[in-house]
Amino acid sequence: MSELPPIPRPEQLPLPQPPGQRRIVLPPHRERARRPWSVRAREWIRRNLFPSPGGTTLTILSAGFLGILVAGVIWFVFFDANWNVITANRWLLFAGSFPRDEAWRLWTSIAVVMFLIGLAYGTWSSLGRRDSLFIVLTGAFVIFLMAHGGAAIWSSIWFLVAIGLLYVGYYLTIWMPRETSMRRVWQQRVVGGLLAVSLPLVLIILMANGGATTRQFDGFVLNLILAPVGIVGGLVIAIPLALGRASTMRTIKWTCTAYIEIVRGAPLLGWLFVALFILTDVIGDNLIINTMVVLAVFTGAYMAEYIRGGLQALPSGQYEAAQAVGLTKMQSMQLIILPQALRISIPPIVGQAIAIWKDTTLVTIILTLRELKGNADSAIAQSEFIPDRIEAYVFVAVVFWVVAFMMSRVSQRLERAQGIGER
Amino acid sequence: MSAQAPASPPSPGGPTGSSTEVPLFYRRGFRNVLQQAIYVAATAIVAWYVYTSLDLREFGFGFLSDPAGFAVGSQWLIDVDGVTNSRLTMYLVGVWASIRAVLVAILLSTIVGVVVGVARLSSNFLVSKMAMLFVEIFRNTPLLVQVVLWYAILLVGAPIIQNVVNVGDFFFLSNRGIAIPWPVPSGGLWGVPDWFVGVWVIALIVAGLFAMRVRAARQERERETGQTHYSNRWAFSIFAGAALISFLLLGVVVSIDRPIIDGTQYAEGMVVKPEFAALVLGLTAYTGAFIAEIVRASIQALPRGQTEAANSIGLSGYQRLSLIILPQALRQMIPSVTNQYLNVNKNSSLAYAVLYDDLFRVATVVQNKAGHALEMFFIIIVTYMLISFAISAVMNVLNARVTSHRL
Repeated sequence: MSELPPIPRPEQLPLPQPPGQRRIVLPPHRERARRPWSVRAREWIRRNLFPSPGGTTLTILSAGFLGILVAGVIWFVFFDANWNVITANRWLLFAGSFPRDEAWRLWTSIAVVMFLIGLAYGTWSSLGRRDSLFIVLTGAFVIFLMAHGGAAIWSSIWFLVAIGLLYVGYYLTIWMPRETSMRRVWQQRVVGGLLAVSLPLVLIILMANGGATTRQFDGFVLNLILAPVGIVGGLVIAIPLALGRASTMRTIKWTCTAYIEIVRGAPLLGWLFVALFILTDVIGDNLIINTMVVLAVFTGAYMAEYIRGGLQALPSGQYEAAQAVGLTKMQSMQLIILPQALRISIPPIVGQAIAIWKDTTLVTIILTLRELKGNADSAIAQSEFIPDRIEAYVFVAVVFWVVAFMMSRVSQRLERAQGIGER
Repeated sequence: MSAQAPASPPSPGGPTGSSTEVPLFYRRGFRNVLQQAIYVAATAIVAWYVYTSLDLREFGFGFLSDPAGFAVGSQWLIDVDGVTNSRLTMYLVGVWASIRAVLVAILLSTIVGVVVGVARLSSNFLVSKMAMLFVEIFRNTPLLVQVVLWYAILLVGAPIIQNVVNVGDFFFLSNRGIAIPWPVPSGGLWGVPDWFVGVWVIALIVAGLFAMRVRAARQERERETGQTHYSNRWAFSIFAGAALISFLLLGVVVSIDRPIIDGTQYAEGMVVKPEFAALVLGLTAYTGAFIAEIVRASIQALPRGQTEAANSIGLSGYQRLSLIILPQALRQMIPSVTNQYLNVNKNSSLAYAVLYDDLFRVATVVQNKAGHALEMFFIIIVTYMLISFAISAVMNVLNARVTSHRL
């Protein structure tokens, strides 16, 4: 009790700060942010790169590794590689045996699709500056690099037109009113309808009135056709399958379960084997059609599982509420259950879409259809390009990577804009 | 209780509705039967159409017992040739080749995935960005292109065998593959045959399992009583003792065979062929990237308090990860990782592209020689399903063990 601190005398108290120089005291994180950028940069480097002796060692080691890697890549890309194998075969890689006189059909389809992408993007999300830059760069990379063969000027002009249409489509949606929910629904129905007809429309543009035959779909164009067919067809198959597997009727439930499990049991290559040797007896000799059927059937089984996950994730109160307000089974599915279940399962469905985009390469190996990778094989089979295998495959890998990466980024943005994954 | 209850009209088709007032067509039971009947009829029509359009005149599995007439290049521990051995034997060699590739790829991709996934969450800026780069590159590139690219790098990029890269006579790298030292049986102490080494390996596995059992039991005792029971020492002594005793009893001698170069061929040692290496590298990088994302997501799903609690009781970074974070994240990881393992199994069919004779490639060769596409496809799908079933059975056991653990 005798250890009490002494009472300070008035002259020992801290002096009040003189007026005019008073400094507002902020919380610590704001205080830190107020320091000059050089101090903050030094702090950031110290904390993220050199926090401790161990951390410093790790940084030095990984910086060395990264340096070697970057040096190796630069050396390969600019000095070692012979990119003639790509530049000499642009048209082969892009469209292969697609008739060159009909190339305008390709450019028109690309322009239509770009317009619709712009429209869709404007409807469902807002276009950040980074996104638009990324989309433009992607389109520039994929089309400009590959489609120069023969009609250099025309392909460039069409490319600019396509990019322009992307923005026209995007800014069209800005003028759409956004306030009332009914208008919003109406917009989404119109845009959704346009997207739904886009695939048949593109096929009509490509094939109608003396255009290309399915056998002339080739190179990167074949990838660009097969993947959407697989995705759209898969979704169309997946929704009834998922509902069937969740059904209470036994015959429906069992057959749907059997379908899903059998299709998921074998690899895609196995199903392409079916397309080549078995479906030729059932459907017909056109391998491209058979491949489309197999891709849709295969994707459908996987997507059905994701949609079923969405159905199961819905609280049972939703089902009961729909019943309580007197909706029929059909109505409650259409209005209450499916919209929510599909919204929940969008991220894995997009993942499956990316997977099927990557898997379109597989048609090369067993069906010997010439998509991008298959045409890269034929490019390196030319006598002067035999040593340039690595260059050709690196190019193919980069093209697929760019598109897949863009798909994943766009889907992330859409998820954020739609608030998917939040409660 | 309520007087109005009997007066309310029965809901049509509802469980309490009296069936006499509802027309037959609107009754739930009738509806069910009708819908299922229509469905079954439609399915049967489709099935009948498919059945009639298939050519089933020669359906049967007898062709599998004929001599193969082709050779497979993926033999290991097995010696078959195309003249005397049947097609079925060749197919089983292919299955064994697939299983080898899948097991190695699963093992390596798990290691890569955990390391990259943890690195992705590192506070070190460079390390985390490099992990992100790895994931984004390998996840978004088609596996087929990755595999053929690895193959091209191993064939074109690696030196020819005359300029082989030789690391201390232990490790050789050329475009004929990678050669590493490998243990081989070399005569026994009491003149036992070479295959006794297999018995010894089995004995070691049994001893290892037993030692793990003892360790777990002693750890349990330690937890219950609070006294130290030296579980690790016990386990190690049991394993070492069993290894020594079984070695002396069986008397097998294993020597490490160094690879040597004989002209333009590797001789002795273990040769990892470029085809196998390309397939496994592709599967490892691709699946590793996916597993890394799973590991990252599972760690991020843990409450932050776990990290803080580990820090506050003074655990080091490695201890925090291995004792607190990873064991808990493991529970969430296992289902998704199992899915990835099943994908590895199915993706191993890409061996076709690099001419590694796995089960799918052998099956297509058999089909090429003998026809019978339908039967071959049936065999393929059953094999893949059996391997998938084995993988998920093992993973389910693991899952049960992990989730039943008390905290």
